[in-house]
Amino acid sequence: MNKDTVTAASAARYQPASHYVDDAFYDWLNEVSLDLDAVTTQCTGRPEAALAAEIERLLTVESRLLDQHAYTEWLELYTSECAYWIPANRPARDPRAQITLEFHDRRRLLDRVARLGTGLAYSQLPASRTARQLSGLEIWASPGRNDEWRARCNFLMAESRAGKRRVLGGWYGFVVRRVGDALRLVIKQVNLLDPDEPQGNNSFFL
Amino acid sequence: MVKNMNDSLPLAASSSSWDWLIQDDRIHRTVYTDPSIFAREMNNIFAATWVYLLHESELPEPGDFRRAWMGTRELIVTRDEARALHVFANRCTHRGATVCREAAGKASSFTCPYHGWKFDNRGQLFGIPGKTAYGAGFKARDMHLARPAQVASYKGFVFATLNPDAPPLETHLGAAASFMDEWIEHQGGADNIVVGGAQRFHLDCNWKMVFDNAGDGYHPPFSHQSLLQMTNARYGGGDISYFADADRSRMSLHALGNGHTLIDQRPDMYANSAWEQQRPQPGREVFEAHVRATVADEDTKRVLESAVGAGMNLNIFPNLLLIGNQIQVIQPLNTAGTTMHWHATRRRDAEDALNTMRMRTQEDFPIMGEMDDAGNFEECQRGLTSFPEDEWIDMSRHHETGQDVADEHGRIVGPVTSELHERAYYAQWKRLMAAEPTLQVNKSRIA
Repeated sequence: MNKDTVTAASAARYQPASHYVDDAFYDWLNEVSLDLDAVTTQCTGRPEAALAAEIERLLTVESRLLDQHAYTEWLELYTSECAYWIPANRPARDPRAQITLEFHDRRRLLDRVARLGTGLAYSQLPASRTARQLSGLEIWASPGRNDEWRARCNFLMAESRAGKRRVLGGWYGFVVRRVGDALRLVIKQVNLLDPDEPQGNNSFFL
Repeated sequence: MVKNMNDSLPLAASSSSWDWLIQDDRIHRTVYTDPSIFAREMNNIFAATWVYLLHESELPEPGDFRRAWMGTRELIVTRDEARALHVFANRCTHRGATVCREAAGKASSFTCPYHGWKFDNRGQLFGIPGKTAYGAGFKARDMHLARPAQVASYKGFVFATLNPDAPPLETHLGAAASFMDEWIEHQGGADNIVVGGAQRFHLDCNWKMVFDNAGDGYHPPFSHQSLLQMTNARYGGGDISYFADADRSRMSLHALGNGHTLIDQRPDMYANSAWEQQRPQPGREVFEAHVRATVADEDTKRVLESAVGAGMNLNIFPNLLLIGNQIQVIQPLNTAGTTMHWHATRRRDAEDALNTMRMRTQEDFPIMGEMDDAGNFEECQRGLTSFPEDEWIDMSRHHETGQDVADEHGRIVGPVTSELHERAYYAQWKRLMAAEPTLQVNKSRIA
């Protein structure tokens, strides 16, 4: 088999193809990550009220769809070239050099949704019931762009599963982009309070 | 030398109870549920035999330190200015406060926050505030931080024991050492391994639930049914789908002596191409194209496969599991509580693209598979605890089929679904639990 045949065979097998997780993407992610966690008293680039409300609405819906286990609808809120990232460190480190708790492109998110959808994912039988509280939302424009914004908010997530209750907390970082008429999520970064401490059963989506 | 003669033993060593608790093909439930057995394990196993602490690459620079554990005993491991490693208890020799409150970092000394006693990064006491208040009796005592009786490293893997009579580390590793060498070779050699962070999980179960599973080739089609079904539906198979009819596979299970075991997945995982066998990870296409563009044709398979796991589950009793490319460490907390540390590795000789791919690969199984196992371990613990009248845990699979066979090296090799793994490590567990080991720490000045 020559190179092209091999590549073509795997390309046909691993759908949807995922060509965007390259060095430039990781560089950009690290830049976004620093910006999301920057210590600043400025609030420049805040979008006008209607747009800010639209972004806030998107984040609220994202959160609610997860609480509803509506994973297919949830993933539709994301762009085709998205990333879902739970760093294993605080602050987040470069995911090229350090393991994360989770780092998924769209294809692996589809894997995870499909796995939960089999009804045989025992870590989610019964499923975790969750209620997310978001607060302290800040939104600002991505530098040099007029179609993309960054957002950060704290979260508290009450969880109940199989008679056990937990509270997870931390902050979310988002990148939101205008795609056609719709706003879509490009990045969700979940910064747990204690990602470097032993985690419980987080086999749903945070 | 300070001797700890195991204050109160919960079970007498001479008792025949060990033979009753651990039989040839079944285990008594209390081995997983009885706090007195757990307490004895912390001495007879997690102190009296070699316990894995950390990999030397986790302390790359002079002054680096990190906390580590021998079961419930907390230690600090440091690298001094002469690059030597030191291991000592995180326990001030004055009143017992921990002298180190951070998981890892850099320090030339540790000052106890309570009364200001200062210890250098070899654990040596060098400063006591108001020293004139102490007399000759005090000064005659050894007051340096307590060091385990023995510390040794095997090709970068650092172990310790409080037992001065424990055989040398290489003797303890025995037949497992050559498989460690094969695992190390997959990473490009001992000096090529660099730990790149960890995922840590808390489980509400006894630590042996985790060790049981580490050599269990029987569970994948059931516990990981969701993963296999998804992989078949989305990619037409691959990944660990060769476990579906595991007894007909080419995989095997090896009992290596001293409680160490191996599941060898390589004959199936590497049969054609481990790279093609693995599910697609984020960045797969980019990496593959990069390798095919930059590496000579005859080397591409080897380079692509070095991003994939080693195809071995090598279990070094009692707490080190080499799985895929990860260094997994079991930390028992209490009878029904365990922490798992999954240390990721990268290769020193590799370009960033390969190491990035390795990270994405090592993240795959924990969230896709391990969570379902962890749930099952916790439910085992619940079942064993809730119904004491059903006393036994069965480990008789392939015990009576004659398929576990001794090979020319004295190892026993069986079908991959054999419960040989449990039978083998419980034989070692029983030997250790029935013994009366000496446990020692040393608080004298380092010579």
